[in-house]
Amino acid sequence: MLAFPLYLCFASALGLLLWRRTASRLPHWITLATCGLGLLLTVTAVIQRTPGAEVVTLVRLPWIPTWGAEFHLAADGLSASLLVLTGIASVGGVLFSWNVQDRPGEFFSLYLTLIGAVYGVFLSWDLLLFFVFYELAIIPKYLLIARWGSTRRDYAAMKLALYSFLGSAAVLVGIVALYATSGLNTLDLSALARHSFPPSTQAWAFPVLFAGFAILAGLWPLHTWAPTGHVAAPTAASMLLAGVIMKLGAYGCLRIALPLLPEGARESRFVFGVLAVAGIVWGALVALRQRDFKFVIGYSSVSHMGFVILGLAMATPLALSGAVLQMISHGIIAGLLFAVVGRMVYDRTHTRDLEELGAHRLGKTLPFAAVTFVLAGFASMGVPGFSGFIAELQILLGTWPVSGRLVAVAGFGILLGAAYVLRAVHLGFFRGDDSPPLEALAPPAPITVPEVLGSGLLLVSTVGLGLFPGFVLDWIQPALAGPFFDGLRRVMVP
Amino acid sequence: MNSSLLAIEFLVVVLGLGILLADLWIPSGARRGLAYAAATGLLLVLTLHGGALAPGDDTAFGGMFLVDALANYFKTLFIVATIAVLLISSGYADRLDGYGEYVALTLFALAGMLLAASANDFILMFVALELVTVTFYVLVSFQRRRQSSLEAGVKYLIFGALAAAFMVYGIALIFGSANTTNFYEIASRQAELGKSPVFVIGLLLTLVGLGFKISAFPFQMWTPDVYQGAPVPTTAFLATGSKAAGFVLLLRLAYSVVPEVMARWSHLLLGFAMATMLYGSFAALAQRSVKRLMGYSSIANAGYLLLGIGATNVTGSTAILYFLSGYVFTTLAAFAVISRVTVQDDNDDISVFAGLGNRSPLLAAAMTLALVSLAGIPPLAGFFGKFYLFKAALLQVPTSPLFLVAVLIACVSVVLSLYYYFNIIRVMYWPAQDAVDRPVTVPMAVGISLAACLAGILVVGIFPSGVIGLAHEAVAGLGTPAPEMHVQAHHAAAH
Repeated sequence: MLAFPLYLCFASALGLLLWRRTASRLPHWITLATCGLGLLLTVTAVIQRTPGAEVVTLVRLPWIPTWGAEFHLAADGLSASLLVLTGIASVGGVLFSWNVQDRPGEFFSLYLTLIGAVYGVFLSWDLLLFFVFYELAIIPKYLLIARWGSTRRDYAAMKLALYSFLGSAAVLVGIVALYATSGLNTLDLSALARHSFPPSTQAWAFPVLFAGFAILAGLWPLHTWAPTGHVAAPTAASMLLAGVIMKLGAYGCLRIALPLLPEGARESRFVFGVLAVAGIVWGALVALRQRDFKFVIGYSSVSHMGFVILGLAMATPLALSGAVLQMISHGIIAGLLFAVVGRMVYDRTHTRDLEELGAHRLGKTLPFAAVTFVLAGFASMGVPGFSGFIAELQILLGTWPVSGRLVAVAGFGILLGAAYVLRAVHLGFFRGDDSPPLEALAPPAPITVPEVLGSGLLLVSTVGLGLFPGFVLDWIQPALAGPFFDGLRRVMVP
Repeated sequence: MNSSLLAIEFLVVVLGLGILLADLWIPSGARRGLAYAAATGLLLVLTLHGGALAPGDDTAFGGMFLVDALANYFKTLFIVATIAVLLISSGYADRLDGYGEYVALTLFALAGMLLAASANDFILMFVALELVTVTFYVLVSFQRRRQSSLEAGVKYLIFGALAAAFMVYGIALIFGSANTTNFYEIASRQAELGKSPVFVIGLLLTLVGLGFKISAFPFQMWTPDVYQGAPVPTTAFLATGSKAAGFVLLLRLAYSVVPEVMARWSHLLLGFAMATMLYGSFAALAQRSVKRLMGYSSIANAGYLLLGIGATNVTGSTAILYFLSGYVFTTLAAFAVISRVTVQDDNDDISVFAGLGNRSPLLAAAMTLALVSLAGIPPLAGFFGKFYLFKAALLQVPTSPLFLVAVLIACVSVVLSLYYYFNIIRVMYWPAQDAVDRPVTVPMAVGISLAACLAGILVVGIFPSGVIGLAHEAVAGLGTPAPEMHVQAHHAAAH
């Protein structure tokens, strides 16, 4: 049942593309139904059978026998938790693009292709299939930004596509190298994870593969595509970009680079750890000085994804579990933040300049947006009770045995995180002065039902995850303790 | 005498002559019917080639002419490409004076390519390539009233003549040192011949001649100009048929005739590959003329293919065959779209693609698919071809780290190529202010060829097994020692 959302998304995408004469709201409903059904199916599947260490094969068909490539979809606890995230983020994205009127058929067709590719990446158990879905995501991303985007969309879309492509070119070299040097003529993940590659191969293949993947996860200093891309993208695409696309890169590190090349991982763990921490602090410092509201969120994504990369680079069980949880948590929170800024605020005020927003007195005129942003901001800061706290705590605790200094610097990043969120809350919503008087302001369009529903879904998810992290950790931790990660655990004993 | 082995070539030439004759009888308004007739005829030839006339492995004319799986694979490819080119050209019929001759010349060029695929002797190789090249001189300059077409024809003539001179000089040196031009005989004595400097220089000069054909750096100078100036169907034919003809000979030389010498030169070949990829991709970045851009893209693709030649392993040769199949479909699809978009005012500046997404959503979608495949994004043919070539090169890393460098450079080139391919996509879907809001017509013949090419891109990409299997069979016979009887027969004939 876990594989159905994948087929559903592609089928609906094709349908929307071919069936061009759609009434103005019909594509929205079709997309909502597809994403909603996808989420429902995923949740039902994981409730029926609690995912964990066991790798459940969903489909396994021969594809290119001479290369040993198969159409092999499988899932364990890690994939399952990210599939749920994809479901939530995709439903949220549709709800916040309910006001898209420019060629909605094509817009949602691309949107669903993107989601389908994401589902595909999280489900693939064959390296080639994984890569096919991984790259498939680039085109809809590019077109969504280039066609429906805003600020410097042309530049941002191309930059994002080129950086993604650069990353996947490196990934391709790594994958082909694994495939060619193993001598097994298989692309099956489990088989390759059991194979131990010679240290000389690992020494060059791991950095190539990890860096290739991490570019998409916003690895400093190759992160600059992320803020510009997020800012230029239409709201739904920003939500997906920050919410799930950046997770694809992190997932690739976790699923392919680390378990297949553990010795390479140990050799270069400190290098990537330093880059990750640099990303945390750099992203936060830059976010602190932005005037464009969306750029604040864009750089905060870089900073938060730095934690994910830190956890992955350290690769201790606790750090990895924290990294996965942070992926899910950030996926929800970033989606929510972009929804508030891009949809609720920008679509009504037509400005994202923090200096100008003060004059709109949004704290008074759009209290719903203000409250949502404050809650999402708390979650983003890592206030206990929200999901971000548990995740970042685990990453820092997991990093401690490896390097205390990295923890200290990353902890400083958390402080900066609080600072830029509070600054954004202050400047964006509550400037405090009473000018202009409320009566003089044209009241913004009221908050619509889809927006309330979308915010509700994402808020409930982040609070639920913060209060009951065990629910998801029970999927993640057994998976990380499972046989697939045996090689990694053996090498990474502290 | 096994003249029946030449049945395919014979039929194609007869078809060409028939077209020439029919041209005299047909009213000038109905000339595009000739293209349909030729395409139908070729379809028939293709069926015969796969069925009743499918020859077994054998040689004819004293070992000069060889039919084997490799030759048959490429012949299929050439015929398919020619059918598509003819259909594309039918939309150009009223722009090409003497269209009947255009069709006939295309068929003669095809005959040359078919002979090249079967060449088992340096002399036949030269003659076949010249047949292709000489017909292309005319095909390139066919729009006699357009200066750029004439200019392109002259450029192609000069560079083609230069290449032919290199090649014929090389062949003379080879003959001088080996006392034979037969591939089998040279293959059986390659260890001894490889030590002779005269032979080695002769081989290098021959490779230079082939380098012109496939537009490898530094013999690529003619490519952008000729691609830009020639009529679109000719450009499409140059980019597919002519290039593949160069590669079938290169493959035969590298894998069957002198594999030991080529293995020593793998660094040289890699050097050419890297330079070709980088040159093609960097030069394409700033292009505004779409045909010129396709020329640079064709150079870059020659570079990827050279990786497979440099790898000198079975994976490499299989990868070349697979890559070329995907490449032929992709390139022809792109040119089919280009031919329709640029036909009205003979302008191929990127701005004529502006707003194509609105003017003709289907053409825009087809172009996007073709460009995305060229850029090497899965699950289309272009991606799997590159995947295969990279695999071939990475298998050789233990012998030399230069292979890793070459693959990394190929990646850089692929990333650069994304920029210029996506640029066209962007222009097509941009809500352009200055776009000519003129609808683009697609005649049925062009539509059919476009649909077939798109199906090819998807099938070769998503279900690569079939083509890989065929490619595997085709290269299986390469590098095995020559069958004794043929060599003896040739000796007997020579004495």
